[in-house]
Amino acid sequence: MVKNLPVVPTAKAGSLVDTPTGITWRIQYPEILENCNMCLDCTLFCPDGAIVQQEGKLVLNLSLCKGCGICANECKENAIQMIPEYSGVQGVFR
Amino acid sequence: MALSIADLPKEELFGQGHAGCGGCGAAVAGRQAMKALGSRTIITIPASCMATMGGSNLKTTWQIPFYHTLFEIAPAVSSGIRAALDAQGIEDVNVVSWAGDAGTADIGFQALTGAAERNEHMMHVCYDNEMYMNTGGQTGSQTPMFAKTSNMSKGKMIKKKNMLAIMEAHEIDYVASASIAYPLDLIAKFKKAAEKPGFSYIHILAPCHRGWQIPAEKTIEFARLAVESGLFELYEVDEGKRTRTVEPIFIPVQDYLLPQGRFKNLTQEAIQGIQAGVNRHYGRGE
Ligand SMILES: Cc1ncc(C[n+]2csc(CCOP(=O)(O)OP(=O)(O)O)c2C)c(N)n1
Ligand code: SF4
Ligand code: SF4
Ligand code: SF4
Ligand SMILES: [Mg+2]
Repeated sequence: MVKNLPVVPTAKAGSLVDTPTGITWRIQYPEILENCNMCLDCTLFCPDGAIVQQEGKLVLNLSLCKGCGICANECKENAIQMIPEYSGVQGVFR
Repeated sequence: MALSIADLPKEELFGQGHAGCGGCGAAVAGRQAMKALGSRTIITIPASCMATMGGSNLKTTWQIPFYHTLFEIAPAVSSGIRAALDAQGIEDVNVVSWAGDAGTADIGFQALTGAAERNEHMMHVCYDNEMYMNTGGQTGSQTPMFAKTSNMSKGKMIKKKNMLAIMEAHEIDYVASASIAYPLDLIAKFKKAAEKPGFSYIHILAPCHRGWQIPAEKTIEFARLAVESGLFELYEVDEGKRTRTVEPIFIPVQDYLLPQGRFKNLTQEAIQGIQAGVNRHYGRGE
C-alpha cells in the first residue's frame, strides 16, 4: 500500500511582506524629489523591493525600506535624498 | 529587441520583507533574476545567506515554491524536481538551483558537476560574494587573492578558482557571468538560460558590504567598478559561442580594490601584478 507522505509545515507564500523584518534598525530613510525622471533604475537596485513602479508612478513603501541608501547613491539625477530617522537629543522615532 | 525596465513584470516574487541585511547584493540579484524567470519557477537553495533571507518554515519572502536544501545537494534536488515535473507532463516551469560561492564551487560542486554532466533541463545560479558570509565570512575558492577574511587575517595567498571556465568545460547549453550593476544584461541572460533545453550556469558577482567592508550604499557601485576595471568580465558562452556583453572602460584596478576594507593592506607590487593580469587578459599594452 502506498503510504501518505508526512506533511511538512510550509510558510504561506510571501508572508514576510506583511510583517517585514529589519526595518526597525533603520537610521535613515529616502525621499524622492521632484527632479526624478522616472528612469526606474532604483526599482532594480533596491534590495528590498521598497521602490516599485505602479501605474506609471514611482511608489516608495517605507514599511519595507531598510534605509541602506543604495537608491540615493545610484540615482543619476540625484533625485533621492536620505533623511535621518532620529532627531533631537532624545532620539525621537518618526 | 532591447529590454526596457518599464516593460518588466511588476510582480515582486522575491525580496520584499526579506530577513537579510539592508543593502544586500544577493537580495538584489534575486530580485533582478525573478523579473526574468517569472512565477512559473521552482527554486532550491542550500545553506547560505540567501536561504536564511528567504525565511523559515513559518514565514517567507518568496512568492514561488522555494526549497531550502542541505548544503551539498541543491542541483541534485532540482534534477529530481525536473524529473517529477516531466513524469506529470508539466512543461512550462523553470527549475533553478541557486547557491552561494561555497554552495557552488566548494561543498556544492559535486552535485553541480553531476547535474551539468547529465545536461539536466535546469539552471544553476551562483551568487558570488567571494566568501562564506552566513557563517561569518570565511575564505573559500571564490575568495580573490590577497582578500582578508575572518579566518585569514593576513589575506588569501592563492588565486580565485575560475568557476566559469570550469562550467564552460562541461560543454553545457549556456554559461554566463552577470553583475547586479547591469540589471538588463543580467535579465537578458536569465531569459536566454530559461529557453535552453539543457543545463545553464549563471555566475553573478553580488557584493556583500559586510564581508567586503564597504559602505552599504556602495554595494552596486562596487559591482560596477569590478566590471569597469576589467577584473570581472561580463560575457556569455551560448552553445559554444563566446561573446563579451559589456566592454570594460579599464579604470585602474586599484580604484576598485583599495577602497575595500578587505584589500586595504594591498602592496603596490600586488596591485601592479593584478593590473598586469587584467592587461594580459584583454591583450592591452602589448
Ligand atoms: C554540510 C554543512 N556544512 C557546513 C554548514 C555551515 N554553513 C552554512 S552556510 C555556510 C557558508 C555558505 O557560504 P556561501 O555558499 O558562499 O553563501 P553565503 O553565506 O556567502 O551567501 C556554511 C559553511 C552547513 N549548513 N552544512
Ligand atoms: S533612479 Fe532616480 S531618477 Fe531614476 S526613477 Fe529612481 S529616483 Fe527617479
Ligand atoms: S534606502 Fe535601500 S531599502 Fe530603502 S528604498 Fe532605498 S535602496 Fe531600497
Ligand atoms: S552578510 Fe552579506 S550576503 Fe549575507 S545577508 Fe548580509 S549583506 Fe547579504
Ligand atoms: Mg558566499
